[in-house]
Amino acid sequence: MSSSPILVVKNLTTTFITGRGRLPAVGGVSFELNADETLGIVGESGSGKTVLSRTIMGLQPRSNVELGGSVQLLGHEIVHASEDELRTIWGTEVSMVFQDPMTSLNPVMTIGKQISESLRVRLGMSKADAKVRAIDLLKLVGIPSAEERYDAYPTQLSGGMRQRVVIAIALSCSPQLLLADEPTTGLDVTIQAQILNLIEELKSKEKMAVILVTHDLGVVATRTDRIIVMYAGRIVEMGRTRDVFFNHRMPYTRALLESTPKVSNPSHTRLITIPGRPPDLYNLDGGCAFAPRCAYATDQCRQEAPSLQEANSDGHLFACWNPLPVGTSPLNQQNSNEPNGASNEQ
Amino acid sequence: MTSTIENNEVVVLKPEKKEPLGVFFWVCVGWLGVNLLAAIFANFLPIWGPQDSNNYVDLNTGPSFSHLLGTDDLGRDILSRIIYGARVSLGVSFGAMFLAFFIGGIFGMYAAYRRGKLDLILTSVSLVFLAFPSIIAVIAVLSFWTPRSILKITIVIAVTSIPLVYRVIRAATLSAATKDYVLAAKIQGATDRRIMTKELLPNILPTAVSFVMIGIASVIVVEGSLAFLGLSTNVTTPSWGNMINESRSVMQVNPWLVLFPSLAMCLLILSLNFIGDRIRSYYDVSEVKL
Repeated sequence: MSSSPILVVKNLTTTFITGRGRLPAVGGVSFELNADETLGIVGESGSGKTVLSRTIMGLQPRSNVELGGSVQLLGHEIVHASEDELRTIWGTEVSMVFQDPMTSLNPVMTIGKQISESLRVRLGMSKADAKVRAIDLLKLVGIPSAEERYDAYPTQLSGGMRQRVVIAIALSCSPQLLLADEPTTGLDVTIQAQILNLIEELKSKEKMAVILVTHDLGVVATRTDRIIVMYAGRIVEMGRTRDVFFNHRMPYTRALLESTPKVSNPSHTRLITIPGRPPDLYNLDGGCAFAPRCAYATDQCRQEAPSLQEANSDGHLFACWNPLPVGTSPLNQQNSNEPNGASNEQ
Repeated sequence: MTSTIENNEVVVLKPEKKEPLGVFFWVCVGWLGVNLLAAIFANFLPIWGPQDSNNYVDLNTGPSFSHLLGTDDLGRDILSRIIYGARVSLGVSFGAMFLAFFIGGIFGMYAAYRRGKLDLILTSVSLVFLAFPSIIAVIAVLSFWTPRSILKITIVIAVTSIPLVYRVIRAATLSAATKDYVLAAKIQGATDRRIMTKELLPNILPTAVSFVMIGIASVIVVEGSLAFLGLSTNVTTPSWGNMINESRSVMQVNPWLVLFPSLAMCLLILSLNFIGDRIRSYYDVSEVKL
């Protein structure tokens, strides 16, 4: 069931003006997000995924930042919107869950007050109504004995509980789009799964769209409809989750997949890493940003940046001059477990 | 498997048992309270008047039953003069710190929250002022701004304290303002004013309160120094500083005259510093054991 897009990002650029020069953190990103969709944005540190999500929120500072292109959220233009305009959208139409639940709650305010504040300010609820709703929200995000927790301070809760509170605050004004910027990075692995399941569950309950920003492909594998892979501030591959995992064409996506540790590997298996370092965004030459680290790079890659091209009619796009053949994903090879691939190459 | 929420993560920590403030803290608070009450209700206390010098029998006596801390070379009661002197010390120091925090605190919070050009300008100005020894500025202004009154002294000391207060509040706000909860409040639609008063102010309050205490203590010293130099209130209004100054000449005859006002000043400053220090460590989140 597809509906009209609630978020349309067109040729978005975010450039920081720093003492060293211009830093193009996000360059020419375009995508759409439908109302009932979960979108994953993946990439390694410094790939621009956090800058992208903050630009979509309208959270970039006004000074020393140059924004270009357009972000349409439910008909509102975010780029160049004033803070007063944004304040009418924040909370009620778009909200955000931050990375570290230790710093995203105010340590000197009870969690109940932190939730009911926005209910009272934004929705004009009375103190008593806001409390009832806040307790409902605490129950919704799975906090037991919510009535007693209402008066707890953040330090009295564990990390997973705090992230649940953060999610409750984000959901308090029923946003249509929830942006989760690495929502599980600060949590340990068992709780990560619970928080991700919670977000997934709430997505269908509250009927909102979700953007999940992460560096962990395992996080997005089963929970997203589509994935955007970012490198050096640009989209290098985008498509339905299945296509990105099994039919990816961009060598960087392959490298990301291969560098994920797998439980099924025998112990002491050396983890495959991507050689080289993330590119210096101050000095991007004309070529593909990934070329210096890519095993398939040719002269064309080093001189000319590839643009996104269609891999299939289902919205699967990639940017590469020498795309990988279809169906050579390491995930496929694990399944078939045939040595043919290796012998053919000889 | 349905995606129910497992409750095995639910760990509710008991409120941390904080180290209590301690007996000495309450002794210090008590001493500050005694000073404040005595200064406020000096007129109603069963003591001699500070200028009652008609008794020329008891000059330079040591402590006795009729004059608990003795008398000075004009026969005036030392205890009474110390209590009335506390009015000047406490009045100037509380007044100056209140004024300095009202102005410096608001600018400090606003600059740290907004950053940008305003912050740059205010911070540069405050650094320039801090580079100049403030006691010299105070002396220079008070030498020419006559006749001197408690209000004028308070204003001059307050103005010279503003840059320091600004720096401290700005730094405290800065560390709170860069946390994600400020951003989280913002994207729930909180206005800047709301963020400053509801989110940031409670976080910087422990720092501010402890700095107020230490600030008051240092203003008492500054006022004492001014009075010692004869730049505070005129001689008819007793203050600890001018009591010490006046009794310098008879120190060899009657050392009590220097000792008691100095002791009063010393004990009050010690109390204030200790109170400020305890409050800071009591509310310091980084020291809370996890």
